[in-house]
Amino acid sequence: MSFARPLALRAITLIGVLLVVLLLLVVTLGATGFSDRLLEATIGEEVRGLRTSLSQSRTFGGNVEALDEAVEVRRAELVEFYDLDQHWARRLPKTVLRVLTLDLGEARNLKSFSGSRRVSDIVLDRLPNTALLLTTSLVITAIIGLIAGVRLSTRIGSKIDRIVSYFSAVSFATPAWWLGILMILIFAFKFGLLPSGGMYSTPPPEGGFLRFLDLLKHAILPVLTLVLVSIGPYIYSVRTMTMNVAQEDHVAMARAKGMPEGIVTRRHILRVAAPPIVTGLILGLAGSLGGSILVETIFNWQGMGRLYFEAVSGGAPDEGVIVALTFVFTLLYVAARFILEVLYIVLDPRVRYT
Amino acid sequence: MTGREMFRELLATFPGKAGVVMLVILIGLSIYAAVRFPLDWGRNEWSDPARWSDNPKSAPPAWVNLLPGTDRLGTTKLAASTPTDVSPSGNGEVRTYRLPITFDADEPPTFVSLSVAAVTYYSRPPILTVSLARPDETEVVLYRQVVRGPREGEVAPFQRFRQAPLRVVLNNESTAIANMADFFRDTYGADLHQTTVRNSMNRALFGRPDPNDPDGLVLMPGEYVFNLRVSFTDARDSLESVQFVVAGSVFGLMGTDALGRDLAQALLFGLPIALIIGISASVITTSIGATLGVISGYAGGRTDMVIQRFADIVANVPLLPLLIFFVFVVGSNLYLIILFLVAFSWPGLTILLRSMVLQMRTGQLIESATTLGASRWRIMYRHIFPHVAPYVFAQMIFFAPAAILAEASLSFLGLGDPSIPTWGQILENGFRTGAVFLGYWWWVIPPGVLIIITAVTFMFLALGMEPVVNPRLRRVR
Repeated sequence: MSFARPLALRAITLIGVLLVVLLLLVVTLGATGFSDRLLEATIGEEVRGLRTSLSQSRTFGGNVEALDEAVEVRRAELVEFYDLDQHWARRLPKTVLRVLTLDLGEARNLKSFSGSRRVSDIVLDRLPNTALLLTTSLVITAIIGLIAGVRLSTRIGSKIDRIVSYFSAVSFATPAWWLGILMILIFAFKFGLLPSGGMYSTPPPEGGFLRFLDLLKHAILPVLTLVLVSIGPYIYSVRTMTMNVAQEDHVAMARAKGMPEGIVTRRHILRVAAPPIVTGLILGLAGSLGGSILVETIFNWQGMGRLYFEAVSGGAPDEGVIVALTFVFTLLYVAARFILEVLYIVLDPRVRYT
Repeated sequence: MTGREMFRELLATFPGKAGVVMLVILIGLSIYAAVRFPLDWGRNEWSDPARWSDNPKSAPPAWVNLLPGTDRLGTTKLAASTPTDVSPSGNGEVRTYRLPITFDADEPPTFVSLSVAAVTYYSRPPILTVSLARPDETEVVLYRQVVRGPREGEVAPFQRFRQAPLRVVLNNESTAIANMADFFRDTYGADLHQTTVRNSMNRALFGRPDPNDPDGLVLMPGEYVFNLRVSFTDARDSLESVQFVVAGSVFGLMGTDALGRDLAQALLFGLPIALIIGISASVITTSIGATLGVISGYAGGRTDMVIQRFADIVANVPLLPLLIFFVFVVGSNLYLIILFLVAFSWPGLTILLRSMVLQMRTGQLIESATTLGASRWRIMYRHIFPHVAPYVFAQMIFFAPAAILAEASLSFLGLGDPSIPTWGQILENGFRTGAVFLGYWWWVIPPGVLIIITAVTFMFLALGMEPVVNPRLRRVR
């Protein structure tokens, strides 16, 4: 019995995913001329900085021609350094490395919380906020879904089962962002119970605990929205999976032996159904990630999803930020996937023997 | 299971029945919408603010008046293309267009406008005079304009206001405001400051001065008549149409957005678009997914391995971030959006079908077909595919709402196809312009409800298909 082989297999697939996404990003950027524009922007930024600092220095005092010449020389150096004079395909390895290290220059309009304009600072600043929202809602969804789904599987066809089926259909069909808007209209504006957006009140309350409570208050609506849209399909899949196992012969056998129902459920049904239930969670992950992008946008939650909205909108979209976001989201997704895959391998002994 | 049996099984369940009924309704409405709107409606009409200028802005639907305690003024458009009477004057004639309106609301209009379209004259420029006859037998001349004379080198007939009609917003027009203040002084002896009249010109048009009122003006219900008098000097001179708009604070079936655009029209236009997105994306996706899945399972070997590795990777990609990226970089064209959706969605079915086909491949059915000399393609098409068809069909239905939702999400992030208004774009517009925070529910709730109804229709069909796909459930029911 060994964990290493299946784990390595999963890791290779996921690294493959990461590489393929990376390649897709870079090739698309190159083929559409985006990478040229990105580099030009970076070079332009540096050259402008140089010009300002040189024009203030004494050496060039008033000598515009000499200054222009010096700036031009520097520009040519930079063009060569970044290989802007070469075809994008030849630049590919370097671009891959730049995306990988999030070395994507400076953003046009956006700033990080501490005021930095570097793309990597802006994106990484927001990462914890997204992770917080996503993990909280995923854990809540998983717990409620598991309990409700297992309960339901013992009364297939009952009225409550049918109600939950319809609920899950509606839940799947509801766009997360629309539900968020509805929540704001109802809870924030109609009743004034909860804040309509943001992460902290302005000004944020002093003291660690009060601050935490404030965050909690702001997190209720976004988390509720995310849970409501993802819980329906999850309950339904847990219910179906558990039901399939519950109809197996070995369960009937366990009951025939006179085992208490609790033990039958736990040891003979749930234990067997656990791996596919985890698979359900894995399959729902991409949806939750997408949902969180939109929910953050609606609730002005300062995460990476909101950053997408901010980078796309406005007169001058921030290309570098969008590239970085797409890559970091893929990274986040792959990491979450890997954790769930490990869980799957732990739960399903069959994988370890093959 | 034949198609007819599948359909009968589908109709036997409640969700199946509901789904079929809803789908028929949606398709019926889509056909109506497809006939009603030209394809380029989005670019030519929806995105052209001039077309909507005569509607009240951000107005809730007219049926809010059915709610108790609400009585808001609706929007009235008075139009005429033939004069009510013609009287000779001097060496020409005066054509009068009389447009009566009964005013009995408790609130003034939000604006009053006049539009005159396509004036043609041959010799002297006609004069347009607008007046308002009021219930207390008085009449106020609001506005007068001489149509622009011939330009240098221009020859008769002279055509004016043909491309864009002459549009005068009477409550903003300074001469109309000055005339109104003069009229109040002469008729009622009320000395209202012009600024007072300017600030409540809508109230002034349909009211009279009242010193006891804090505004200085009270509304006067009754019969009003808008008159447009046009003096023509040539018998061939003509005017195509005239329209007075008394805009209220409610509008139509679904209200308007901040530009005064009729939301009901956009919502109707969005329906066939949503169905096309859902159905085309799901049909293409399932076709690719099913073909690759059957080939992968049946062919085995290196083909199988390549397809499965590829499917594994594509299936594990986070959809929305990549969609955002590609649409952002390559451009937001609806066909491209569908293409990207398909490109990332086919692997699920491929992986599922492959495992089903693997089990079937070693079965006697396939063995006997092979012994009879059937070709590989024939076996896949005639002997394997019919067995997995119900799954494929169920997946096809299941994927349609996912595609609709994905497009709506992209639109909501501002990446929708700008030439085709979709439900997601209406919502995006409402969110971006702050409609959510101003409580404009008629703007943000209906598009979402329609998305849900459309998606639920497909979900119901999928739920109804479940007993077809999963025989265990048939036993339970």
